[in-house]
Amino acid sequence: MSERTLNIAHLYPDLLNLYADRGNILTLVQRLRWRGIEAVVHEVTHHDQPRLAAYDLVLLGGGSDREQEIVGAYLAKHKDEFARAIANGLPVLAICGGYQLLGAYYQLPDGRKIPGLDVLDMYTSAGTGLPRLIGNVAIETEYGIVLGFENHGGRTVHHHEPLGKVLHGHGNDGESGFEGVHHMNVWGTYIHGPLLPKNPQFADAVLATALAYAGHSPELEPLADDTEALARRAFLSRRMPDVNLSHLTNDSTTEHAKTTQQPS
Amino acid sequence: MLGIWIGKLVTWLLRMRGMDATSFPGKIALKVSPRLIAWFGKRLERVIVVTGTNGKTTTTSLLAAMMQHEEPVITNHKGANLVQGIATAFLQHTSWTGRLRAKTAVLEVDEATFPRIADSLPIVLIIVTNVFRDQLDRYGELDVTVEKLFTAIRKTDACLVLNADDPICRNLGLRASRKTFYYGMSRDTARTGLRRQMRDGQFCMNCGHELTYDGFWYGQLGLYRCPACDFSRPHPEFIGVYRGKSLTLREQEVPDIELTMPVQGLYNAYNVLAAASGARVAGLWAGPIHEGLADYNPPDGRMQTFDTAAPVTLNLVKNPTGCDSVIQAITSEPGQKLVVIGINDLAADGRDVSWLWDADFELFAEDEEIVSFITSGFRAEDMALRLKYAGVDTSRIRIIEDMDEAVAAAIESAKHQHVPVFAICTYTLLHKTVHNLTAKARENERANAEYRASVS
Repeated sequence: MSERTLNIAHLYPDLLNLYADRGNILTLVQRLRWRGIEAVVHEVTHHDQPRLAAYDLVLLGGGSDREQEIVGAYLAKHKDEFARAIANGLPVLAICGGYQLLGAYYQLPDGRKIPGLDVLDMYTSAGTGLPRLIGNVAIETEYGIVLGFENHGGRTVHHHEPLGKVLHGHGNDGESGFEGVHHMNVWGTYIHGPLLPKNPQFADAVLATALAYAGHSPELEPLADDTEALARRAFLSRRMPDVNLSHLTNDSTTEHAKTTQQPS
Repeated sequence: MLGIWIGKLVTWLLRMRGMDATSFPGKIALKVSPRLIAWFGKRLERVIVVTGTNGKTTTTSLLAAMMQHEEPVITNHKGANLVQGIATAFLQHTSWTGRLRAKTAVLEVDEATFPRIADSLPIVLIIVTNVFRDQLDRYGELDVTVEKLFTAIRKTDACLVLNADDPICRNLGLRASRKTFYYGMSRDTARTGLRRQMRDGQFCMNCGHELTYDGFWYGQLGLYRCPACDFSRPHPEFIGVYRGKSLTLREQEVPDIELTMPVQGLYNAYNVLAAASGARVAGLWAGPIHEGLADYNPPDGRMQTFDTAAPVTLNLVKNPTGCDSVIQAITSEPGQKLVVIGINDLAADGRDVSWLWDADFELFAEDEEIVSFITSGFRAEDMALRLKYAGVDTSRIRIIEDMDEAVAAAIESAKHQHVPVFAICTYTLLHKTVHNLTAKARENERANAEYRASVS
């Protein structure tokens, strides 16, 4: 049906798969497939060499501190390669531990620093004696409300645009009122749950960016996101009733659900 | 002796306060008398050990219940399978003067604990239920487990009772070079299909070549053989023919025994088969095997069945691994069915429902015998979304937030379609659902009684 093919790399699924990152990959693949676009998923384990030139989208997930330290060591070898690819517009979606690894370092509670890719002007510190930031989270972004669950000890500080403004939950450091990062075609966030299934607009924005980067048309025909809309609405009203529902009425996910049909 | 007194004193104190005393007394007693296990070992006649990845607790309970009908048996209940749990079990069967009240023990032993106690006890029989791979095996964790089991076996003179359908058990049996009895499911009950082979790619532990399967039961359990060397599934001495409510135990030169399953599900059929095979090797006749099965009370939410207007089987799920074995058990049940999934996100369930995306709901999506799905609970919509991305057409999914209503709707439509209901729920939905279904089953029984009365 279409000649568009997208190469998605899932980096270190063997080490960074703490919060069901499989769900994010599944969402990307299914949303492409439902539109007749082929997706090739490259599972890059710690035995493999990442080949950034071959990918149109890179997903970096979350892991425990120990696993993150191991991944940090692998990534350090490819620092320059990553910096060049990102400057060239490579789309990267980094979640939780992966988000922290985009910065200069992640300082553990014991004071040790895990060096990161250093592709963003950013650092993370777990601090000492600080509570973990855990709970449901909703943020306002250019893609509508992005919602999910956060669970992180690290406080992240950066000098880029955030992904969104916190409506409920903690965000980057529990203080600034901002969550995540969006710089070039790099998105970093603490939101999992997993992130993409319940945030289809954001998922599509990532896909469109990746298609454009791959040299394809970024046009994505709308899908029937009824179930997504139901899940978003139910989650907000039951778990984060303080988030103004008017935000959600502006949420075009629900619009899509009403006006479009799922392609067969 | 000091260790025993202290251990018994701790047990008594804990019980006085109404606290759980399945491990702690043993832990304290072992601190005082580190050689306590060996001390008990000298006073026992025989010990049967049940070990493996899944099904240890159920197999141990079943076998102990069977053996109880022949003689008093010491056993560690509730899955307390580390050294301290085993010491506690012995303490509970010891008098203040240090006399053991039984000569036989049936013990569930954790794989990692086993080598530490193997030469302290008179172990005559070792049952290995299965050795499952999980995510950790990529770092060699599985090999570590197999080596621990092998080390423990070598420290004993015990006979082995092994799962023939598990290539890792078979490998253990070949290397242990001693009297080994295998149990396995009847060949003609295996499922064929390529997909599972891809999912559970297994490699020959002799030569490293990928194994070929002629059929599967679940996970890596199946009719395996290595195309490169002569490694293959052995012909089992004890063959199980599983038919949902019953399991036929087939043995050469002995009449078949028809066993009533105290709890349904393929993985429980393996547990029943393992326990019955172990009982046979230990010299039990059919009588105590039947009685032991009849005694067994499964905990709530383990393939728990209710005789409602359409029969309901209820399962508790807590994490992706447990959820996968439940999904496998449900898809292994023959015939069409309706599936209800209740997901809550309260503290006891886990507030983060990410794990739903790690569980293998794709198996449900591929099972054409599931007529429809109802999702329920505070995260009913998230569950529906999970099914959608697994590949289930949304027209086959209904969302009913209240679990009682969801179950009622499921029974109603299952009754008209003459299919059973399989329900899954998380912890905070379990007790109210059990309560609700028990009432519905009673109602159904009354209605049937009235119907019969009016007919006659």
